[in-house]
Amino acid sequence: MQRQWRSLRALTRASIKMYFRNRTAVFFTLFIPLFLIAVFGLLSNGSGGNITIDVTNYSHNQASQQFIQQLKSVKAFKVEQVSESEAADKLGRGKTDLQVIISSNFGATDPATHRIIPSAVKTYYNAGQPQNGQTASLVISELLDGFNVQLTHTSQPLTVQEAGIKTNNQNEIDFLLPGVIGFSVMQLGIFSVAFAFVSYKSTGALRRLQVTPTHPLNFLIGQSIARLIIGFLQVAILLGVGIRFFHVHMLGNIGIFLGIETFGVIMFLMFGFAVAGWAKDENQAAPISQLITFPMIFLSGVFFPTTGLPAWLHRIVAYLPLTYLVDSARRVANEGATLWQVRGDLLGMTVWTLVVLLIAVRVFKWE
Amino acid sequence: MRIHPENCYTKVMLIEVKNLRKTYDKVEAVRGVGFEVKKGEVFGILGPNGAGKTTTLEMMEGLKSIDHGSAKINGVDVARDPYKVKEMIGVQLQSSSFFENLNLVELLKLFADLYNTSTQPLSLLEEVDLREKARSQVKQLSGGQKQRFSIATALVNDPVALFLDEPTTGLDPQARRNLWELVRHIQSKGKTIILTTHYMDEAEYLCDRVAIMDEGKIVALDTPSRLIEALLKRGFAPKKHVELATLEDVFIDLTGKELRD
Repeated sequence: MQRQWRSLRALTRASIKMYFRNRTAVFFTLFIPLFLIAVFGLLSNGSGGNITIDVTNYSHNQASQQFIQQLKSVKAFKVEQVSESEAADKLGRGKTDLQVIISSNFGATDPATHRIIPSAVKTYYNAGQPQNGQTASLVISELLDGFNVQLTHTSQPLTVQEAGIKTNNQNEIDFLLPGVIGFSVMQLGIFSVAFAFVSYKSTGALRRLQVTPTHPLNFLIGQSIARLIIGFLQVAILLGVGIRFFHVHMLGNIGIFLGIETFGVIMFLMFGFAVAGWAKDENQAAPISQLITFPMIFLSGVFFPTTGLPAWLHRIVAYLPLTYLVDSARRVANEGATLWQVRGDLLGMTVWTLVVLLIAVRVFKWE
Repeated sequence: MRIHPENCYTKVMLIEVKNLRKTYDKVEAVRGVGFEVKKGEVFGILGPNGAGKTTTLEMMEGLKSIDHGSAKINGVDVARDPYKVKEMIGVQLQSSSFFENLNLVELLKLFADLYNTSTQPLSLLEEVDLREKARSQVKQLSGGQKQRFSIATALVNDPVALFLDEPTTGLDPQARRNLWELVRHIQSKGKTIILTTHYMDEAEYLCDRVAIMDEGKIVALDTPSRLIEALLKRGFAPKKHVELATLEDVFIDLTGKELRD
């Protein structure tokens, strides 16, 4: 018993050493996620996401100037005044979301009747990408309603009262960080185990261990403990970098977040061992690992929400192991969820862990 | 320094193998192999590729299950208590490979931990002439150095018996002779050695007794000189007259015994 304990410790220590001396492994599990966080962090700090509007003003009166000022005051709008032909050209090339033409009689009054001459503000949007253009168009018609009320001195029976509420501004990096961390946990669990183990198997290093009196399970447990420690450090580093340098908002308990990610490492280790135990060499391990991880990178809401997927697909991807991990971590980070509130995800992860463990035991081959 | 088998009949039997059998997918790789190895001798198992040498060894090492028969090492039945046997023996596998990214000292320490023992990595490396490679990794070693290191790892637990599976296959003549000297050196320290080879000169030079295997069976077992004697008695005459030197002797004479790794 004491001997098994000693060899377990020795194998764990050796696994950690080997891991940190393996530059490829460190690169994939630490630098790639750091790079992703840096790129997305810098992108979301920029002015991305604005709706661009080109305005051509033929009126040049006070009312039109006032209207343009109001347009510019909308935070989501980036307004430029250009000629009609230039605006049409830019819209055609997809450079702007909306073209607005203010006709020359905008806001003018008929000198005979002193009444305001009816005039339409024309908007054109790219029918191929209508979301931004239509949204902007709606806002513009809202603005014009306000003008109408002003000019006609009537009151509108139904209005909306708006008020900005100060919140912990969720931005893209807040959404992304739990996704990227979940992704890195998956890579660690599956790739580092599958490749290391399979190479020990194919080169015979594992056979060499089997002629020593250590129990073979010590090797598997030692590898797992090493990965848990490495995974924990990795998550802590990525989270720390996100909070410190990219001002990620962490609404929930950091301990719960780390705990969930560590559970994620355990879950994906099972996948790693199933692949490694089944495969004879790297040529078998590589494609099957890719086959497992690749779809999840895109379907588990790592980089963008899954709500945009077709309903049937959305229902399926909800059951993916990475979806459970990313969702629960994201709800803790972005919404301050407690363990109890993410129990559904944790249950899903538990089921995956047990099912894949059973598969791993079934398909496992030492040589 | 060599212990001649004629003088050691009184010696204790260290290894007893009886009627070992192993079948893979209906192919009988080993069909009833039995022999005894005395304490302190170098016992060779010779045979062409596929004769069942490695399988026999691996059953004795507890690496492969024994279908039929028994193997006892120092009185311990391998099938009954493989862990106890593994504690007592040192094994060099045919294509030994080690963990990457660990240096020789770290690997020896790891192996010592696996045997729940302690070792002096540097003096062990000294013994196999790898002292100056202490901080290198296995992948930086030459073929002969790898084999020597592999033997060093097999010695961490101070085993009663050392199993070497084709220790010189693929080595150049210098490295081969160097390894022979190492084997003799280990024998001189009182270790029992069981090795497989398909080089007859190696068996003749190193082994006190040899078992010749073919198609899963032992076809002859005796000292090399007696086996040759028996052959001559059967009326065998070599086709050519016996050379007083071989081409390898020429090669060694011209290129020297110095190791080239």
